[in-house]
Order: sequence, then C-alpha cells, then structure tokens
Amino acid sequence: MFRLLSVRVAAATLVGVAAGAGGGFALAGSISSPAQKAAALNRLAAVATTDSSTTPAPAPASAPQPIPAQMLGADVPVPIAPSILRERNGWLVSDGKTLLAVYAGAAGNDPSVGRVVIVSQNVAAGKQTVRAIDAGSTGELTITAAPLGRAAEASAQTGSLRLRTAGGHFLTLDLGTGRISREPHGAPLP
Amino acid sequence: MRLLACTLTLATGLAWSATVASATQPVTAWYMYGSSGSDLKSYAYAHGCDFAQAEPGTGMRVLLLDFGAARKLDSSTWGAVDFSNTRFSNADILSALERAADGYHNCHVRGSVDIAYGNSNYHLSGSGMSSTDAWWAGFHQSERSEDLADYQSSKGYTSQTSDAASDMEPSWESPSVTKQLVSGDQAQGWALYYDFGSADGCPQSGNADGACNNGWHVSDVGYVSYAALALPLPEIYYTANANQWTVVRKWWNANAQGTYFFLGVTASTGVGLTPTASWAALNSLNNGLVESELACFGC
Repeated sequence: MFRLLSVRVAAATLVGVAAGAGGGFALAGSISSPAQKAAALNRLAAVATTDSSTTPAPAPASAPQPIPAQMLGADVPVPIAPSILRERNGWLVSDGKTLLAVYAGAAGNDPSVGRVVIVSQNVAAGKQTVRAIDAGSTGELTITAAPLGRAAEASAQTGSLRLRTAGGHFLTLDLGTGRISREPHGAPLP
Repeated sequence: MRLLACTLTLATGLAWSATVASATQPVTAWYMYGSSGSDLKSYAYAHGCDFAQAEPGTGMRVLLLDFGAARKLDSSTWGAVDFSNTRFSNADILSALERAADGYHNCHVRGSVDIAYGNSNYHLSGSGMSSTDAWWAGFHQSERSEDLADYQSSKGYTSQTSDAASDMEPSWESPSVTKQLVSGDQAQGWALYYDFGSADGCPQSGNADGACNNGWHVSDVGYVSYAALALPLPEIYYTANANQWTVVRKWWNANAQGTYFFLGVTASTGVGLTPTASWAALNSLNNGLVESELACFGC
C-alpha cells in the first residue's frame, strides 16, 4: 500500500509548514486543511515491517458461540451499501464456525428488481463471501418465513427462506444452492 | 525545516517499500457479528491472524473491521450495535481490536498493518443520537484507536498502527449529524478517519456542489471524506460510483485547500465490478491520485 503516500506526506507537511508560518489552516468555509493529516500520515510512514517483540500473544480462551437463527428488523444495521441493496429485512444464523446472513430487498440502482444479498463467513477458513442474487422484475423482496431459534443453528444454513414479492407472490430461496424459485417448487427465475 | 527534512527522509524510505505487483491485490475487510464480547474477541483474533497470513507484498495494508452502527449505549457509554443486533461498548470493541492485534502479531509474515476501528452512520438520529452524541461517538472512536496504538506499542507490535473508519452513507443519516463523526475524531486528534462509504445519488459529471441522496451535497461528501483527518476509501461497486467520487474530488480541488487524493477503494465480490476493476475504474478517472489500498468485503 501507499506507493504514493510518501509524496502525500511530504506535500501535506509542506502545506502544514507553510500554513503554520502564515498563521493558520483555515479553508473556504469550515473545511480544514489536509495539512492536519500530516502527523498521522507521518505516523503511518514510520511503522516498521517487523515486530520488536517475538513473544507470542495468548490466543482467545473460548471459541465463538452459535447465534440462534433470527430475523433482522429495520432497526438492525445493514452491512450492504444502499447502492447494492435497498433492504427490507434480513435473517441471520451462526453455528459458531460458519455464519450466514441474508438481506432481502431491491437492487440499489433499480427498485423493480428483487434482490437478496448473502453474507457468509467461515471463521476457521478465514473466508467471507458476499453474493447478490437477483429475482428479476419482482419489486422489492421481503423475507416472510425462515427457520428460527437454537434448533436451527446448524441445519438452517442449507435450508430455505420464503420471500414475498412486491406484488404479493411468494418465492423460495434455497440457501444450499443460492437459487430463487417460484413456489411451489417451480422453475428457477431467469 | 527540521520537520520537512525528517519527513522527506521518511518518505524516501517508504517510497518503494511496497511492490507494484502487490499494489492492488485485495485484502479482506470484515463485517463483525457476535453474540457476546467474548465472541467478538475470538472473531477479531481470527481475522487478525488470517489477514497476516494472507497479506500480499511488504507494504502497509488496512485491516478494516466494521463493528456496525455507532451508538450511544447509555448516558456515558458509546459503542456500536453490530450486524447481529448486539450492542457492544467501546471497551468491548477495544478488547476485540487488541485481539486482532494479537492475531496479526502471532501470524505475521511480512509487511505491516493499520488496524481500523470501523463503524457506520446507520440511523444515528433514528436511534436517538443527537449531533452532539455523534460528535462524541467520533471522539471516542479515535480515542479507542489511540488506546489500541498504546497497546500495540506496549506489546512490541512495531509492525502495527491503528486508525478509525466509517461507512458513511448519505442514505442512512443526514449530513449534519454524520459530519459530527469526523469533527469528533478531529477533536480527539489521533486517528485518520477512513471513509469507506458512498456518494449515493451524487452527480456523475462536473465539479459543482450538486445534490445527492437524503439532503446531502457533493460538498458534504467532500467534508466527511477529506476534511480534517478524513481520508477517502470509497465504495466502488459500479462505474457510476467512480464517476460520483471523481466529482467529489474535483469539487474539493476547485473549492478547498490541498489536493484531494484517495487512499484506495473499498470493493466487494458478487456484485458489479470485481475488486481489481473497482480500483482501476477510480484510478482511470483520477490517475495518480489513487493510493493502492484495496479493502474488500467478500474477498
């Protein structure tokens, strides 16, 4: 990282020195000068590539606990940007090793397109995936039925969620395959 | 002049520390989920270790841990509500950040890391937070980042430093409240404040202070991404995003002091542009003004 940061550091510092000599950092309006970043950028530039300590740190004593399968309402933060998904609601489950979160709504750039975004984390493998699946011109999607509770912590990750379209039709999201189909078990949507 | 000389010396030492080959290789950024502080620490430790093992090149990379929406938990406690709807105090988050530092140290192979305490502006006022509360959220976020730096220093983790970050999305909160995150961070004074949010709804051409979503303007995005200690690490998921951020950069350069540059980009998989294409899209419109960081949710 920061192939060019050295230049920025020097430039920011130069601005800082000049502005300091001139008596301030004021900009148009209330916006502050990038020279304020100089000290922090210099800090980054000074970080070594080896640790002075070779003593291993203790690993955490306990492993993550499962998270019971649960619906996520509108008050729960969404990690997915509005440019990708206009979210209606979500659903989450974790068995302590793998975590699956599904967010339903409409495509950020086209509200006529129904979309779900699946966030999957595998802590043991150090992997996180984000996958968007479009349902076509369904309007926004809402999760209306899903496995819930502790009993579903493991099994739910390959189960299915029921989705309702803006027009009141129902679809099924197969979490194992990541495919959306019309109910009852119709052909996959285009 | 001594400062300048020192800086130039540092600059020379750093200038080519990262190879071009590794410059735009993505590193994983993590959404944080957990049902307890203990969970959060375990996940953070694993993320720090995984990050170190996979870190490309010998330069510095940002380990971005997104703890969810900034929140005021009670009259004197700030923190975040994570993506599993669990509320964590800043003390919990600092403990998790320290475990991430431990994990990186134990698994360190090459290079260095800037561990960033990330949050978002998701529905701050909707949760009851005032502008003053948001200011304190930014202040304490920077404070905890400095606490993490103290921890890193005390442990001899000299390949590490720490900063703050926020997914500031125009659609999620008003500009007036969101700006307070940046102002609070500035007032505390430690942490660079990486904006890994969007310029949603902003114009895709020109350099005027046009309107964006939710009452925001281009100048507001400029403020939260480049004023004070803020640095842009914008979400580039579509070419439209690169266009919007280019307008922000042009507005800044036409109306404010200093040359706006990007720390890099935040990308994702499974939608729109690939991570490498995301970085290239922004760089093609802002050649020479995009640093090589490529934080990726989903890589």
